[in-house]
This record gives sequence, C-alpha cells and structure tokens, in this order.
Amino acid sequence: MKLSVQVDRSFGGGFRLALAFDVDCSVLALVGESGAGKSCLLDLLAGALPSRRGGGARGGAHGEARVLLDGVDLSPLPLRARRVGWVSQEPALFPHLDVAANLQFSPHAGGLREVTDALDISHLLQRMPAHLSGGERRRVALARALVSRPRLLLLDEPFNGLDERRRRGALSLLRRVSLRFAVPTVLVSHVAEEVFGLADHALRLSAGRLVAQGRPAAVLRAGETCVDNHLVGRVRGPDEVEVDGIRWQLPLPEGAEGELALAVFAHDLLLARQAPVGLSARNIWPTRVLSVEPLGDTLLVRVERPELVLTLTRAAVDELQLAPGVDVFVVLKATSVVSLGRA
Amino acid sequence: MSAVWLSISVATCATLLALPPALAVATLLEHGRGRWRGALYVLVLLPLVLPPVVTGWLLLLTFSPNGWLGASLAGLGLPVAFHWLGAVLAAAVVGFPLLVMLLSSALRSIDPRLRAVAASLGASRWQVFRRVTLPLAWPGILSGASLCFARALGEFGATIVVAGHVPGETSTLPLQIMAAMERPGAEAEVSALAAASLLLGVVCVVAHRMLLGRHRARLELPA
Repeated sequence: MKLSVQVDRSFGGGFRLALAFDVDCSVLALVGESGAGKSCLLDLLAGALPSRRGGGARGGAHGEARVLLDGVDLSPLPLRARRVGWVSQEPALFPHLDVAANLQFSPHAGGLREVTDALDISHLLQRMPAHLSGGERRRVALARALVSRPRLLLLDEPFNGLDERRRRGALSLLRRVSLRFAVPTVLVSHVAEEVFGLADHALRLSAGRLVAQGRPAAVLRAGETCVDNHLVGRVRGPDEVEVDGIRWQLPLPEGAEGELALAVFAHDLLLARQAPVGLSARNIWPTRVLSVEPLGDTLLVRVERPELVLTLTRAAVDELQLAPGVDVFVVLKATSVVSLGRA
Repeated sequence: MSAVWLSISVATCATLLALPPALAVATLLEHGRGRWRGALYVLVLLPLVLPPVVTGWLLLLTFSPNGWLGASLAGLGLPVAFHWLGAVLAAAVVGFPLLVMLLSSALRSIDPRLRAVAASLGASRWQVFRRVTLPLAWPGILSGASLCFARALGEFGATIVVAGHVPGETSTLPLQIMAAMERPGAEAEVSALAAASLLLGVVCVVAHRMLLGRHRARLELPA
C-alpha cells in the first residue's frame, strides 16, 4: 500500500497530533509510549474522527487531516464508506448476535468460509459472544473485519491482554492471515515481537509527533527488542522435530504428531565459531550468518537454515567477528523451544 | 368493567403514540451535537414538573375546537377535546418525559464503539440504528414503555381537563374512582375499581420483568 497522511489536529485536554508521512509497505506498525497518539492516528485513518475542522467534533477536535491510500483520498469519506477493517483494542462484538451473524454483519461480507477456516473459528459460528474466551473474541473480531473485504486493515493492539502462550499463537495466526489475505495493514503495538513478526515498516510516535520511521529494527529501541522466531517443525519421533532439515530435541506433549508451530526467543539462541563440546544444550548445528544489523543498543544477527534471528551484544559480535557469510554453530537448549500446537 | 378496558386501551394507545417520538427525541439528545440539546431536554421534562392540570390546560388551549391545532384535527374528523383521543393525548404527554428519560439512559448504556464498528463494516445510519441500536436498547424500550403505560393508567389531572368525564369514552379508572367517591353509597364500587387498579399495576410490573428476563436470556447476559 501507498499511504500518505498529513494531520494537524488539536484534541481536548491540550493533545495535538501533528505529523506527516508517506510510506510504501504491506504492514505498517505504529509504536511509541502510551498517549503518543497511536490509537488517535488509527481512529483518524478509520474515519472515526471527522477529517475537517468542525464545531462539536468528538473530543473537541479541531484541525485538518488528509489520508491518501493508493492514490484514493479517504479524507472526505465517512466511516461507513472507507471500507476499513477496524479492530479496536476490545473486540466490540455485537452482543445480541451470534458469531455467524456478527461475521455476516457487513453488507460487503464475502469469503466467510475461507476466513473462518483460516482463523479456526468454524466451530464457534452458533455461539453468542458472551460465551467466547478473550482469544476467541479477538479472532472473531478479526474475521469480521476480513470478511467485510476491507481495503485497509487497522489493528489496535490486537494481542492486548492475552497470556504469553495465546499471544504467541495469535501472532503466528495473524502472520499466516496477513500472508494469505494480503490486506494492507496498520498495526498499533507496544510489543516489539509483534512489530518484528508482522510489519515491514514502522513509525515511532511521541507526544503526537513522528520521531522516527524506517525498518522495524531501526525504529525499535533497547528494551523493546524481545524478538520471537516462529517456525514450523515436523514431528520425527518422541521429543524430536525436524525444522528445515535440522533435527531438534525438545520436550513434546504426549501423542504429538504432524506439523507443529514452534517459537524460539531470539535472546535464547547462542552462536559459536567452533563446534562446542561438553555443553548441556541438546541442539547444536552448523550454519552461516546472513546479516548483522543494529537493533537499538544490541545487534540483530540473522542466520540461515532454518532462518532464525538472534540478538547479541555489540561486544559479542565484535569478538566473534560476525559478518555476512561467516560460518557459525547455533546452540539451542531443548527447553527454549515452545510448541504452540498444530501448525 | 368498562372503565378497566377503557383505561387499558387509553394507556396502550398513549404508549404507542408516545414511543416513536420519544425514541426520536432520545436519539437526538444522546447522539446529537449542539447547544439546542439543553433546551430540548428542558422542554421534554416540562410535563413531569408542571402540575398535570396546567399540562391539561395547555393541551386544551392547543387542541380545543378553537385551538390552533384542534380546529385542523376536528376538520379531519379527529376531535380531541372531551373525546377518547383527548384522554390518549393527555396520558401520552404526561408519560412522554419518563419514556424519553429511560430511552436516553438505554441509548447511553450502549457502547459507542459498537455503532462505530458497525459503520466501519459499511452499515448505513439506518442499518446501524435498526440492527445495533434498537436491539440493544430493547430492555430500555420495554422499561420505558411499561412505565409510560403504568403512568397512563394512573393519569388523572391532565385527562380531566382535556377529556372531561364522559362516561364510556373518557371515564378511565382514576376518573371513575373519583366520580364514585363523590357519590354517596358507592364505597363498594370504589373498592372494586381500586382493586382493579392495583391488579393492573402488578400485572404491568410482572409483565415488564418477564419480558426483560426473556431479552436478557436471549443475549445471555446476567440478570
């Protein structure tokens, strides 16, 4: 998508959102501290805030906002004509309608079967929202937005409030959805892992201003650099999976079979220049460095087969003389791999 | 018995007459923008704070055969003053503020994000109102309608001024009770009519609770 935004708006309480940007990407992440204006910008993109100066606008807003998406000026369009899939922090399902009716609410609804299968909610269609778990509600809200065939998907902290395991599962799911349905997306997130996992461009907002933009690795700061690797492994035996031709040992639930979604924290991986011996770690294999790039105060190292990212200090990278093309060994503890269930 | 049926028919028609404009006014008050909302709110509440007799007198000024609206309505074959329609109108006007207050409260309790999400999904304003606002406001509409109905059953002051006491046409339960109280030796009739009023009130509250319970069960909300 090519998204161009110019906004200078004052809101109640003295908050002013004043920024301009042009981006060309698939998934744009908005990052920044609470109150930076991320959700406000998302509401503006959705059309939930009027684009022009007007008396009595919500929150006493004044000023101008201009939004161009792939050459189409969305600014004069009201919320209902913008065709955006808007998924707010709380799923906001219609409580008087069952899941099927929620999904078919949009007059533009289409491709229901494909979306419900992709989001694994086909079995929930007859349920009322009050009887869904937090994760299920979020999946239904996302499905409802996708079914409305939006030209832009707006996700406001879609994993907020989910526990660690569910969050990882949801992230893996959202990545698959993003690839499959290829809807241009703007994502608000506090969590670096989500930004890395989904976005190819990021904007950092602070006090209503744009303070940085670029690749997620360039925009995220130290302390926000917790990165996950998401992979798919095939079960090859008890406590053994094969990932991209490499066999890993890890504790698997009884009866696990087929393909599993796996997650590995980037900071749980080690690198060595020589084959290490006498280590307790169960998984050691040779590979090659693909890239080394700065990530806040640390460095993000990408290795091949299976493609993984890991975070190292600058001192470690210097000492090991890591650079693209260098041969290394990856060290991974069996307990550092998290199985997220069937892929 | 005729007074009971007359009261029920007057209260039912008054509620049905008041409901659509009350819903429109409540929607304007809750979702409208502008300073005029304060003035509208005051206007709506007037029948609640004015003595019913004054409300009846104002209605009579408007709807009497010489009144600015009464003359036109009489020309259309719809006489209001001292007719059944006058009793309906008086009950509707007096119940209107209660209805608006409960409907406003029901509309206010609906999460505004639901309407915004509905619009983002491409629904028109009318579709949002019909498919989101109205079903979610339904408990409030039931509450308001039952309260308006109960208030209409007990309406006396404005009715006697606008509709008078025309036996069989405007002699609702309260008017009939008043007339019986003024008649020596009609204590038994007063007691019977008072008992009928009590029974109607209880039925009204029980029906309201049952309808509300059914709605909550449909939404699977806690009671």
